[in-house]
Amino acid sequence: MQDPTEPVVVFRNVSKRFGSTAAVDAMSFTVAAGETLSLLGPSGCGKTTTLRLVAGFEQPDAGSIEIAGQAMVGKRPYERNVGLLFQHYALFPHMTVAENIGYGLKHRRWPKAEFGDRIAEMLRLVRLEGFDARRPGQLSGGQQQRVALARVLATKPKLVLLDEPLSALDAKLREELGLELKQILSTVGSTTIVVTHDQDEAMSLADRIIVMNRGKIEQLGTPGEIYAQPRTAFVASFIGRTNWFSGSGGTLAVNGVCRLTTNNGTALNVRTVDMPPAGSWRVCVRPERIVIMPAHTAAAGSDANSLEGEVVSVVNMGAQLHFVGQTAEGRITVVQPNRQGSRFQTGEAISLHFGADDCVLLAPDA
Amino acid sequence: MSGRLFDDAMWLAGLVLIGTILCFLLTPIAVTVIMAFDSRAYLGPLPPPSLSLRWFEQFFSDDYFLRGLSTSVKLATLAVAISTAVGLATAFVVERTEFAGKQLLISLFLSPLLVPPVVTGFALLLFLSHLGLINGFARLLCGHIIITVPYTIRATLTGLGGIDRSLTEAALSLGANERAAFWDVTFPLARTSIVSGAIFAFAVSMDDVAVSIMLTDATTYTLPVALISSMRANFDLSIAAASVMLMLVTLGLIVALEKSVGLNRAIGQGVFRS
Repeated sequence: MQDPTEPVVVFRNVSKRFGSTAAVDAMSFTVAAGETLSLLGPSGCGKTTTLRLVAGFEQPDAGSIEIAGQAMVGKRPYERNVGLLFQHYALFPHMTVAENIGYGLKHRRWPKAEFGDRIAEMLRLVRLEGFDARRPGQLSGGQQQRVALARVLATKPKLVLLDEPLSALDAKLREELGLELKQILSTVGSTTIVVTHDQDEAMSLADRIIVMNRGKIEQLGTPGEIYAQPRTAFVASFIGRTNWFSGSGGTLAVNGVCRLTTNNGTALNVRTVDMPPAGSWRVCVRPERIVIMPAHTAAAGSDANSLEGEVVSVVNMGAQLHFVGQTAEGRITVVQPNRQGSRFQTGEAISLHFGADDCVLLAPDA
Repeated sequence: MSGRLFDDAMWLAGLVLIGTILCFLLTPIAVTVIMAFDSRAYLGPLPPPSLSLRWFEQFFSDDYFLRGLSTSVKLATLAVAISTAVGLATAFVVERTEFAGKQLLISLFLSPLLVPPVVTGFALLLFLSHLGLINGFARLLCGHIIITVPYTIRATLTGLGGIDRSLTEAALSLGANERAAFWDVTFPLARTSIVSGAIFAFAVSMDDVAVSIMLTDATTYTLPVALISSMRANFDLSIAAASVMLMLVTLGLIVALEKSVGLNRAIGQGVFRS
């Protein structure tokens, strides 16, 4: 029996090159037992290659991969107890639902007598009782994905890999199945890696997220950390919407608040634990952190920030209002909860307020 | 108005053209079929006064034809079995690996379709005599494998190309080794394509004259070759009877082909594309 405190997956300095490009560049990370980790990044960032390295469809050029305490380099996919859920389900079209779910049981040498019970148990888990004899072609996309999940989980793999599990489904179904997927994964207590380019998918499924770019880890953290404290400009712009301010140099004020001046001459108070930046910088402010006030309202507090401007557009999204304001810093996006419609109309002069704590100071991307 | 009239006229002309072409294609066949059932002992004007099966009886009582028929069937069966296996192995490797010159290699495999069969037959005759291979059946077998293998490779490649690679990967990740994944997943999904390639190859082998005529010897000859030689010697209507039977065999194969592809559509969802 494996020590439950040991990580299930250990990646040490793993690299993989295709020709002259490094798809995965000296990646190191671990996945704890029962944890769901997401690899998030734009297409071509190396997340799919990372997944294929874990599954055994690719072999690393350098570094080591351990799963459940065993070295994996050189092992074939079928010599690892790793389940893989494919983006387009990859159900065997010539087999019934029950045969699909039983396929892994057969090849992982489960006792034949247990097949029936295990298949029934899996169908119950994904709420598809009575679908045994159907063929994949007779099922909807969501049902096919649930069968695929049942097929993966049937053999109790040490690790489950999900490759863009929801992206082939339409928006509403995606949300429903996402919740169900998370619930099922926690019911069976599986250790999971989710690969996705969709931040909602990553945020909703994962305990921790690795944001990847050009084969490297940009940031590793909880969904909350990744969103609120992005460590690089890439992470800040890849996750969610962002308003950017840029400039260079600054002075240290009191209590860890720096006083910076943007390239457009606006003064910004930004909380930072570090010294004020010596070179150029970028400041990220999330749209929901900004409050809209009538024009020329004074900002509350000594380290608050205030920008004067004019409403360019108001979009009512139902649950939220999306404002765009034109200011000396260009267009600023503001998102507010929609309570009683907008108090501000297009063309109206406004004042935009946000605190020093709402600003994240970052170095510009190299 | 005149534009419309012109369009209608074009449609009519098109229909007339199609009808003419159909007549042109089908009339000789119809004449052959009618003549095969002619009850007269000589070649008389159409239509025959009465019908009989005498030419079929004559065909089946002629050892020369029967021998050709038996050689043809044996040859086609064996050649198709070999070229289907070769085609499957070749197509599988070509499909699964990436290398420079892959397209060129595929074209090379299909080249027997482009080389005139007479040339293939003659080249093979020279080549095999140099090797000292003078057994008629072995020579014919070589020739027929060469002319049928492009069909089996082509059809199998098409079949394998339609199978999503992730299906094999799913099988591997579920614990099946590569061999098991091939027999459980790849082969059943490619089966209809493999079968249609084999049926096509069988028809090609049964009908071939140009290659076979170069490679036959005095005792080993195929049915089409026997028909041609006997036509030169003494023209009678048992050839028409043989033609009708060859047509029936081909028709049967086409129906079988249609059925296998039709079956394909019936189960087919996505990956079953033929």
